[in-house]
Amino acid sequence: MKRVFKATLMASLLPLVLTGCTGGTSVSSETVAQAEQTTAELADQSTAEAGGAPTAATTTAAASTTTDATTRAAQTAAADQEAATLTIIARGGSHVDVINAVKDKFEQENNVTIEVLGLESDELKQKISLDAANATGSYDLAMADDPWMPEFAEAGIFRNLTEMGYEADSDFVQQSLDIGRNPYGTGDLYALPFAGNVQFFFYNKELLSSLQAEVPTDWAAVLDIAKAAKAAGQVGYVIRGQQGNPVVSDYLPILWSYGGDVFDADWNVTVDSEAGQASLNFYLELLANGANYEKNDIVAAVSDGSAAMSLGWPSWYISDQGASAAYAVIPGKADADSTEYASGMIGNWMMGVTANSQQPELALKFLEYVTSAEAQKTGAEVGGVPTRTSVLSDPELLAKYPYFQTLLTATQNSVVRPRTSKWSEIETAYGTELSNAVAGTKTVDQALADAKTAIEKIMQ
Amino acid sequence: MKQEKRATAFAYSMALPALVVLAGLSVYPLLYILLYSFTDYTLLAREAPAWVGGANYAEILQDPYFQQALLNTVKFAFGAVLLETGLGLLMALQVIRMKSGQQLLRTLLLLPTLLPGVTVALTWQIMFSNNNGILNQLLAWLQLPAVNWLQDPGTAFYAILAIDVWQYAPFAFLLIYAALQTVPASQYEAACLDGAGNWDQFRYITLPNIQPALLLTALLRTIDSFRLFDKVNILTRGGPANTTATITQYIYQNGVRSLKIGYGGAASVIMTVLVLLLSLVYIRKSFTAAGRRG
Amino acid sequence: MHILKRHWSKVIFNSLLIIWTLFPIYWLLSLAVRSQTELTGQLSLWPRSFSLEHFSALMAGGQFGQSIVNSLQVTLLSTSFALVLGLCSAYILARLQFRFALRGLLLVWSFLVRVLPPIAFAMPLYILMNRAGLLSTLAPLTLTHILMNLPFIIWFMIAFFQRFPIELTESARMDGASEGRTFWSVVLPVTAPGIAAVGILSFMTSWNEYLYAVIFVQSPSDFTIPLALATFNSEQELAKWGQLAAGGVISALPVILFVCFAQRFLIQGLSGGAVKE
Repeated sequence: MKRVFKATLMASLLPLVLTGCTGGTSVSSETVAQAEQTTAELADQSTAEAGGAPTAATTTAAASTTTDATTRAAQTAAADQEAATLTIIARGGSHVDVINAVKDKFEQENNVTIEVLGLESDELKQKISLDAANATGSYDLAMADDPWMPEFAEAGIFRNLTEMGYEADSDFVQQSLDIGRNPYGTGDLYALPFAGNVQFFFYNKELLSSLQAEVPTDWAAVLDIAKAAKAAGQVGYVIRGQQGNPVVSDYLPILWSYGGDVFDADWNVTVDSEAGQASLNFYLELLANGANYEKNDIVAAVSDGSAAMSLGWPSWYISDQGASAAYAVIPGKADADSTEYASGMIGNWMMGVTANSQQPELALKFLEYVTSAEAQKTGAEVGGVPTRTSVLSDPELLAKYPYFQTLLTATQNSVVRPRTSKWSEIETAYGTELSNAVAGTKTVDQALADAKTAIEKIMQ
Repeated sequence: MKQEKRATAFAYSMALPALVVLAGLSVYPLLYILLYSFTDYTLLAREAPAWVGGANYAEILQDPYFQQALLNTVKFAFGAVLLETGLGLLMALQVIRMKSGQQLLRTLLLLPTLLPGVTVALTWQIMFSNNNGILNQLLAWLQLPAVNWLQDPGTAFYAILAIDVWQYAPFAFLLIYAALQTVPASQYEAACLDGAGNWDQFRYITLPNIQPALLLTALLRTIDSFRLFDKVNILTRGGPANTTATITQYIYQNGVRSLKIGYGGAASVIMTVLVLLLSLVYIRKSFTAAGRRG
Repeated sequence: MHILKRHWSKVIFNSLLIIWTLFPIYWLLSLAVRSQTELTGQLSLWPRSFSLEHFSALMAGGQFGQSIVNSLQVTLLSTSFALVLGLCSAYILARLQFRFALRGLLLVWSFLVRVLPPIAFAMPLYILMNRAGLLSTLAPLTLTHILMNLPFIIWFMIAFFQRFPIELTESARMDGASEGRTFWSVVLPVTAPGIAAVGILSFMTSWNEYLYAVIFVQSPSDFTIPLALATFNSEQELAKWGQLAAGGVISALPVILFVCFAQRFLIQGLSGGAVKE
C-alpha cells in the first residue's frame, strides 16, 4: 500500500518519468518517440512563427495576437493589414521607461506597435552584434553606448542616416551629435543622441557651506576642501575606485584636467606621461583624504552629508527634496593658475536604425520622434536625460530639474573617450592597473608603465 | 539468450536518448569553439577570420593577467570545495540526527541556494557596504575599525568566497543528506551491538557508504567554482588589483565583452583542459574506491 | 558533565549555522519591506518602516507576472525532460551488466559538457538555434537547460544506482518482472532521496539561470525572472534594492513550494531502515 502511495506521489512529481518508465522496454522507446515528436512539434511551430509559412502565421496571428513572435511573423507576412511592430533593443532601466512613456502617441498615429527589449549593457552589445549577422534583423532600432560607436561604425551595424535623407538638427548639443557621426565629428550621421549622460561634480551643499567653502573650480581647491572635511570628521572626497569601467571613468577627468590623455594625436600611448603620473598621485591623495565607495554608497554618502564631494552621473540624481546633494561642472585645471581643459567625460547613449531592419523608414521616423523636443520633455519626467539645447533650457523643466542647466554646460565642456574600436579592451587593461595603484599593490610608476605596455599590446 | 538481447535493447532505448540530446546540442558548439580558437575571429570584423595556429593559446598562457586569474581560480576552487563539502557534511550529519523539525530545517538551510544570483550578490553587497553596511556597523559596535570588504585587496577574495560558501554549502548538504538516507540501518544496528562509538560508526559505516556521493559533490563543486563569474562580475569586476579575477571573468572580459571569439574560445579550451586534468584525480579515486568495495 | 558540554557545543554549532544561513535571508526580506526613503539611508537592524511599495512597483504592468509564468514553463519542462533522460541513462551507465557500447562515450561526453564554460558555449548555441529558426520561442532555453542539468543528473545518479543492492533487481527478475518494470517499481522508489535531491537542484539551477536566458531572449514577453531582475542593477543607475529584494522573495516562493513537495522523497527509500545514532 505504502509503495503504491509513493509511486503515485512520484508520478505527480515527474509526469514524464511515469510515461517513460512504467511499462518496460516497449514503453521506454515510446517515450523517446514521444519526446522527439514533441521537439519536432516545437520546431515546426516555431518555424511557422518565425515566418516560414506566411499563411499559417497569419492565421495564428489572428487566433492569438498576444504572442509577439506571431506578431512579428505577421508583420513581415501581412504588413498591409495588420499593425506593424517596431522592435527596439535598449539598455534596461530608465531608458526603457522613457521609450514606454512616449511611445503611445507614435503607435496611434502610425498604426504600429513598439516593443522594447531592455538589457544590461554588455549583453546589449553582444546581442546587437550577434543579430547583425542575420540578413533579416530582429531589431529595427538599437541603442549603443558612446564608446561602442567606432566599433559599430566599422562593422556597419547602423544605417547611414544622412544617406536616408536625415538632416542634422542643430538643436542637439553639438558634442552629443558628434558621437553619432562617423568619422567622429565630421562624417555622416549613423545614430542620434538618446540620453545625454555626462559626468558631473557631485557635492553636498550643506557640508560645503558649513566648511565655508565655495564650489571648487580647480582640483587643488577640491583637495583643500577634502582635507577640511576630513578634519571635521567627515569623508572628504569619495573615489569610485572599482576595477574596470568605474575607476577609469572616475580618474580620467583628473588626467584630462592635468592636460594628459590616454593617447596623443598620433595614437602613441601616453598614460604614463608627466601629467599621467601627477594626476594619479593626486588621485591617491584625494583617496587619502576620503574613501573608496561603490556608486550606491557614493550617492547615499554625499546625499546625507557624511561625504563632501565626488564625481557622478545625471541618472544618479536624487529628486528627493531633502537631499542636499548638488551637481556642478567638473573642475578643469590642476590648480588656480594652471591651464583649463575640458574634463567631464561624455557618456551619451545613442540610438540608430539597424542596417538589417526591414522597415528602416518607419524606424527612422520613430527615432526622430523619440529624440524630438516634445518626447524628451515628456521623457524627462520619468528619468530621461535630454540631449537638446531647447529642452535643457526649458524654463518649466529647469524649475523642476535645476541641474539641466549644469548638464548643458557640462556637455559643452565634455571630453569624448578615445575613438577606437578597441576601447573596451583598453578599459579592461587600464582599469586593472589603476586598481593596482589604488589598492597599493603597485606604485604609481609601475602601474602606469604596466598599463602602457598592456595598451600598446592591444593597439598592435 | 533472448533475455540478454532484450536487456541490451532495453539498455539502448534507455541510454541513447540522453546521448542524442547531449550530442545534438553540444557537437556544433564544441567544434565551433575549438575551430575558431585557432583563428583571430572577431564577431564584428568585416574580414574573414584568419588561421593563426596556436597564437591565441601562446598569448593567453603568457598573459600575466591570465596567470593571476588562473591562480585565483585554483585557490578559490580549493577553498570553496573544502569549505562547502565540509560544511555540507556537518549540516547533513546534524540534520539527519534530529528527531523533529527535520523538514523545516532542511527547507531553511536550502534557502540560500534557491535565490537568483543577482539578488544574492546585491544583498551581500549592501551587507558588505563600506558606507554603513551592517557588517561595518557590527564592527563599530565592537569598537573595531571599518573594513572596505569588497575593495580591500586583503579581504575581497575572502568576501566572495564567503558568499559562495553561503550559497552553495546547502547544495553539498542536500546531496550528502540524500546519500545518508540510503545507508542501511542494519549496518548501524550491527555496529551498535558491537559497541562501536559514534566516531567509529561514522568512520567505518557512514563514510564508506557516502564516499562516492561525497567525492562527486566535491567534483561538481570544483567544476562549478571554476566557472565562478556572476558574483565577481557584479561585486568586484575582478578587482581590487585583480585579486578576484577568475578564468571565466577573464574569458568574459577578453572574449565576450570585446567579441573576440577566437581568443575567448582558446581561453575556454585551456580552462576545460585544466578542469579535466584536475577532475582526473577525483575520477580515478572514485573509481578505485568503487573497485575496492566491489 | 561531559554530556552536558557536548550538548552545549551542539546547540552553539546549530545556532551559528542558522544565523549564518538565515541572516542574509532576513536582510533580504527586510530590504523588501523597508520604504524607499529608509533604503537610501543607514540601515538599522530592525526595519523602521513597513511598506509593500516595492512589491506593487514590481508587479505593476504585469511584466514580472509574465516572467514568472515563463520561468515556470521553462523550468518544469526542462527539469522533467532532464530527469527522465538522466535517470534512464544513468541506470544503464551504472549497471555494468547491461551491454551498451557507447557507455564510455556518454560518460566522457556528459562530463565534458558540464566542464565547458557556458560563457563560451552561449554564442555558438545562439548561432545554432538561430539557424534552426528556434529563436523567439522558449524552446532554445528549455533545450539548453536540459543540456545544463543532464550531466549533473547522470553523474550523481550513477553513484546512487551503483550502490543499489543487485540482489533486489535479481529477485525481481526471478519473479518475472521485465527490466523496465524492475527499474520503475524496484529501483526508482529506493533511490527516491537521490532523485529528489537532483530534482530540487536541477529545478533551482534552471530557475535562476541567466546567461543562456539573456542570449536567447528576443522579446520582453519572453523574459524569465533572472532577466527581469538583472535590469534593476546597472552601472549607470542606482540599484533598486527594494525591487530586487522583493523580486528575489517572490521568485523564491515557487522554488520553496517545489522543495517542500519534493522533500517527501528525501526520506528513506524502501529497503533500508531509518538511520540511528
